Amino acid sequence: MTISRRNFVKISGAAMALPLMGSSAFAQVEKIKIGFIYVGSINDNGYNYAHNQGRLYVEEKLGDKVETVFVENVPEGPDCERVIRELAQQGCNLIFATSFGFGDSLVKVAPQFPDVAFEHATGYMSGPNIGLYNARFYEGRAVCGTIAGHLSVTGKAGYIGSFPIPEVVMGINALALSGRRINPAFTVKPVYISTWNDPAKEADAARAMIDQGIDIIAQHTDGPAALQVAAERGIVGGFGQGADMSAFAPETQLTAIIDHWGPHYLASAEAVLAGTWAPGNTWEGLKEDVVQMGPYNAKVPADVVADAEKIKAGQIDGSFHIFTGPINDNTGAERVAAGVTMTDAELLSMDWYVEGVEQPA
Amino acid sequence: MQFRLEKRREPSKLMSYATPVAAVLLTMVLGAVIFSVIGYDGIGAVREIFLTPLTNSYKWQDLGVKAAPLIIIGVGLSIAYRANVWNIGAEGQYIVGGLAGTGIALLTWGMTGWWILPLMVLAGMLGGMAYASIPALLKTRLNVNEILTSLMLTYASVQLIYYLIRAPWKDPMGMGFPQTRLFSEAARLPTIIPGTIVHLGVPIAVLVGLVAWFIMSKSVFGYRMRVVGAAPHAARYGGFSENRTIWLAMLVSGGLAGLAGVLEVAGPFQRMVPGFPTNYGFTAIIVAFLGRLNPLGVIVAGVVLAITFVGGEVAQTTIGLPNAATGIFQAMMLFFLLAGDILIKYRLRRVMPQATAGTA
Repeated sequence: MTISRRNFVKISGAAMALPLMGSSAFAQVEKIKIGFIYVGSINDNGYNYAHNQGRLYVEEKLGDKVETVFVENVPEGPDCERVIRELAQQGCNLIFATSFGFGDSLVKVAPQFPDVAFEHATGYMSGPNIGLYNARFYEGRAVCGTIAGHLSVTGKAGYIGSFPIPEVVMGINALALSGRRINPAFTVKPVYISTWNDPAKEADAARAMIDQGIDIIAQHTDGPAALQVAAERGIVGGFGQGADMSAFAPETQLTAIIDHWGPHYLASAEAVLAGTWAPGNTWEGLKEDVVQMGPYNAKVPADVVADAEKIKAGQIDGSFHIFTGPINDNTGAERVAAGVTMTDAELLSMDWYVEGVEQPA
Repeated sequence: MQFRLEKRREPSKLMSYATPVAAVLLTMVLGAVIFSVIGYDGIGAVREIFLTPLTNSYKWQDLGVKAAPLIIIGVGLSIAYRANVWNIGAEGQYIVGGLAGTGIALLTWGMTGWWILPLMVLAGMLGGMAYASIPALLKTRLNVNEILTSLMLTYASVQLIYYLIRAPWKDPMGMGFPQTRLFSEAARLPTIIPGTIVHLGVPIAVLVGLVAWFIMSKSVFGYRMRVVGAAPHAARYGGFSENRTIWLAMLVSGGLAGLAGVLEVAGPFQRMVPGFPTNYGFTAIIVAFLGRLNPLGVIVAGVVLAITFVGGEVAQTTIGLPNAATGIFQAMMLFFLLAGDILIKYRLRRVMPQATAGTA
């Protein structure tokens, strides 16, 4: 084809229209390339391990139709921005940023790649090509808290948190509320260590709290360090977080909250393949199998297991919600009236602690 | 055939330039061997880590942004180390500099004016200097080792960030996340090349290197720092006060670390977050030594280290190299450099067996 003036106008017109088309609808693709960004190591046996299991799940289900890449140990700051651009430039059609602190970077980079679908785990800033996804971890906490309320001798649990964000606060509150349903004197002592993954800090926090009389430990950090300390010190027990950690503390892990991201990742990948992806905002839990409970330890008595299973079943069929009033905060003021259930919006901006939670420093 | 180390009459100039280059090359060769042996594509690893960031023009902006803080801090450290003042706490001074700049940005939030950024930069430098003056004071008054105090103060500064962003400086719109609000436009470092992320801090870093080189090689101040470091007795005899040198070295290195901190928070971060400390202050120690404690060398070394960071990420996505590989390559580089330094003062001489028979 010679480039006549008329053709030139046609071609350049099409070229100009291309970016517009790209931003208005996502085209169908034959083969999908997915990028994953992890804040920690895939060998942390917890949160990042679970996301990586989700990646492997997609690979297994989609076979040759998918190629995946991942970058681990990405700091929550400008370094993440570079990694996102790198993945987008390498031709990823779908990118999962799996930690809260990646949000700023995603919001900056996503508009530069309107044809790429981005999804941000546990975040709150969406965009024309940024979807949000999260899991109702607090449902698992309610099961853990039920066991803790039954088994704790001192009536005190310790909770290692990363940052005081709603996601973490919600988990602490769910543990306290469910524990106090069983034992009204049950209390939770949170400690924030300002990192998602630092086994030394997690272990130090666990030791300090055990010295102060807690005999149950829960954590919202990414690895099994706290459980290992609990095992070493022989306290009643603790819970796996993100993945089944029983291999690290077989006597001590009472049960575990398992993040099962695979089905969500598969659904998003299939949507991109079909050209139907749109930025969503999903928040799934036990019912959708995105949150699973690990095996109960043999030392958990049968009646306690039955009670835990009841809480689990209630959350699956919708008959039980841990954030149903009456709920008082830790200053004694009523926050949720009897019979009222907190809305998702209220949960996602939770910045107060329920009765029985010691105010953290 | 045997070898013997023999002291040179004069330190070798050639070797002092050759060893950094040799260290980088040896790292590439040994790195390729090690990663091949443990089952990765070793040659690919070296190619992705050391060459891809250079050959892919899209990566140049990342190199500039990553190298800028390393160069600025590294230049300051090179001046201090020349004077035998071992400031190991540049990370802490970088943090306090960033915090001081953040303070100004929050105080002037919502305001406009050209003066806000310069004021932030000034505050950042003063913050870094103030934080470096603690070990300087302890050293000159009580003779406390500055390596220890400057290092430990780094950990204190990290806690200072956590305190400030959890309570007084917390973003009212941040859903409870411990971070400050996003700086307003006037407190953000402008991008100098449209369409890229290259900010004003990049040319500033190069300028800092050039100015420092000029001062160190052409001025009395530079002469004093070099003499005190190389020959403390002669310096004392010549009337150079040791305490004054310590103060100068700490203030210069602290001020530059603070400058890097404020440029980083006003540029790439645009708000203070818990992830602000990313070990630039520690990595800059490698940069200072790899650059032979010469500001011009530091500029090159800063780029080399930036290449390994950027390339390390490329290697993760293209050949599945674990993230720890980047650290291994950087550590090997420093190791070979320090090991190679022996060749500056000593020479390797081949000796015949009969020659050593008497001494063996």
